[in-house]
Amino acid sequence: MTQTTNSTPSVSGSDPSVMIRLEGLTKRFPGQKVNAVDELTMDIHEGEIVVLVGPSGCGKTTTMKMINRIIEPSSGRIILKGQDVTTTNADDLRRRIGYVIQQVGLFPHMTIGQNIATVPRLIGWSAERVRNRVDELMTMVNMDPDEYRDRYPKQLSGGQQQRIGVARALGGDPSVMLMDEPFGAIDPITRDRLQNEFLRLQSEVRKTIVFVTHDIDEAIKMGDRIAILQEGSRIAQYDTPEQILTAPANDFVKDFIGSGASLKRLNLSRVSEIELSTWPTVTNEDSHERAHELLAASDHSAVLVLDDEGRPVRWAGADDLRRGSGKRLDQVGSVPQAVIEPRATLSDALNELVTARYAVTVVVDERGRYQGVVDIDQINETIRSMRSSAVAEARTEFASEGADPAQGSS
Amino acid sequence: MGFLEFLVKRADDMLELGIAHAVVVGAAVIIATVLGVALGVLTYRHERARDLTLALTGSFLTIPSFALFILLLSPLGLGWRPVLLALVLYGLLPVVRNTITGLRGVDPAIIESAKGMGLNRRQRLLRIELPLAWPVIITGVRVTTLVLLGIAAIGAIVNGPGYGELIFTGLARVGTPVAVNLVLSGAVGVMILAVLFDLIFYAVQRLTTSRGIR
Repeated sequence: MTQTTNSTPSVSGSDPSVMIRLEGLTKRFPGQKVNAVDELTMDIHEGEIVVLVGPSGCGKTTTMKMINRIIEPSSGRIILKGQDVTTTNADDLRRRIGYVIQQVGLFPHMTIGQNIATVPRLIGWSAERVRNRVDELMTMVNMDPDEYRDRYPKQLSGGQQQRIGVARALGGDPSVMLMDEPFGAIDPITRDRLQNEFLRLQSEVRKTIVFVTHDIDEAIKMGDRIAILQEGSRIAQYDTPEQILTAPANDFVKDFIGSGASLKRLNLSRVSEIELSTWPTVTNEDSHERAHELLAASDHSAVLVLDDEGRPVRWAGADDLRRGSGKRLDQVGSVPQAVIEPRATLSDALNELVTARYAVTVVVDERGRYQGVVDIDQINETIRSMRSSAVAEARTEFASEGADPAQGSS
Repeated sequence: MGFLEFLVKRADDMLELGIAHAVVVGAAVIIATVLGVALGVLTYRHERARDLTLALTGSFLTIPSFALFILLLSPLGLGWRPVLLALVLYGLLPVVRNTITGLRGVDPAIIESAKGMGLNRRQRLLRIELPLAWPVIITGVRVTTLVLLGIAAIGAIVNGPGYGELIFTGLARVGTPVAVNLVLSGAVGVMILAVLFDLIFYAVQRLTTSRGIR
């Protein structure tokens, strides 16, 4: 027992991988009979995105805003990197924590560059370091510094404004970021793109992120860990998305996930993670005889025609070949519509294949070259294996928790 | 003698009185702006203090200017002093009201994000809230200026500086041919000053308001 983790002087029993510890955190607003947040205790580990999700009024936003003390807790403690920050200077604390809100809140009278420079200037960086940081951050969020640095917020679209909001929050290179429904006010297509961009960014910067949303799908997509909160910010379940979808802890969680947990699980795996099926292919130089041979030899009703670069250009069925006899193979049949890249999720793949002509989704690499196909059997297989591995994991955890000496000997 | 002829003949007077008029109004506007913005900043977040300040500064405007000048005569004597003080009191309301309106109109999300980034109260006020409220505040200052240009003319009753002198001289000679010219030249002088001040404000507003909020 001597080799267990050492406790830091300020807080006893702290684990070095815990970035934020909330201890018995409670908030009661004046004139309210019940606590908005009631005795919440949770650990948030370094480098993880923890999503606080729950119905409106559950106290998730209040909880998040107590971490940077925009809302001062009534009781309990906030421990950041082993240091109790519950009563230290709030402005100093906030400069160490990035903050992104749904309404973005860019300063309209300042340029994009000045907005991003806010915290670096507050903490006294040199002018040159600030300038470099601004350019670096703008590049990181896919905004060309030379084009946008001197523009004003009103000249940007909603999606671009939130990109700058994220860049500004990263300004002083904080180790922690708080994000309150950051993509909530953005149209679904742009939201999806921003979420993906943000996940890519996070894989580079590895911040500890507390992310609030009311949308379980967003939680599953963004979270390394999800805390599903009930009224009073009581934790219904705090676990990985896989576990929450596979082994919901109680009826509240089950209801909150709603129907279609299996479908949601498909958001968790990417096409690149599964083994693709093969499909008979021909090139546009091949003869019709070759295509007929392949069709006869397989149990599929069409062949996939690839061009010189190996990109899928046509589906050609037996009927198409007959009708188009004498034409080159890339002139017959129909253009494949359901085509995705390996980075897409299985959910995307399923979405494409339900409407696709031959009930498969064609997978291409980033240059559009044919890699394989995804069909319904593979998706079915993936769901079952995810389920069984999650169940197995849950069992192991259960067994190790219950493994007291008496049981261990039996 | 026609009015234009009269103006040409009195050109020196017109210029001298105009400068005096502009100086006393300008000084009153600057003082009223400093005091008014300060009062607004101190009270905009507290409902009771806010209402009290608006009621008080509003009540000054209800005192007839004639009466106020004469009331200030005994403590401050004749000349520019009672005029300046009266003008400052009259000028407070538009500045205070617009400062409060402007500061309260700043989007709470902007203030929250500023707070979340670690700007303290002072930094938030000076770097975020006041610059954003500025277009509204300066509109108040503009209104104050126009109101004071008119009221300042009445200041001649206590020997105050400016075009009021022409008007009151005219008043004393009602019935003579020169009376109309005197009163008219005083009024025209005030109007010309109003146009000039407005041009200056237009320029100041353009120069001091960020392009991002124009």
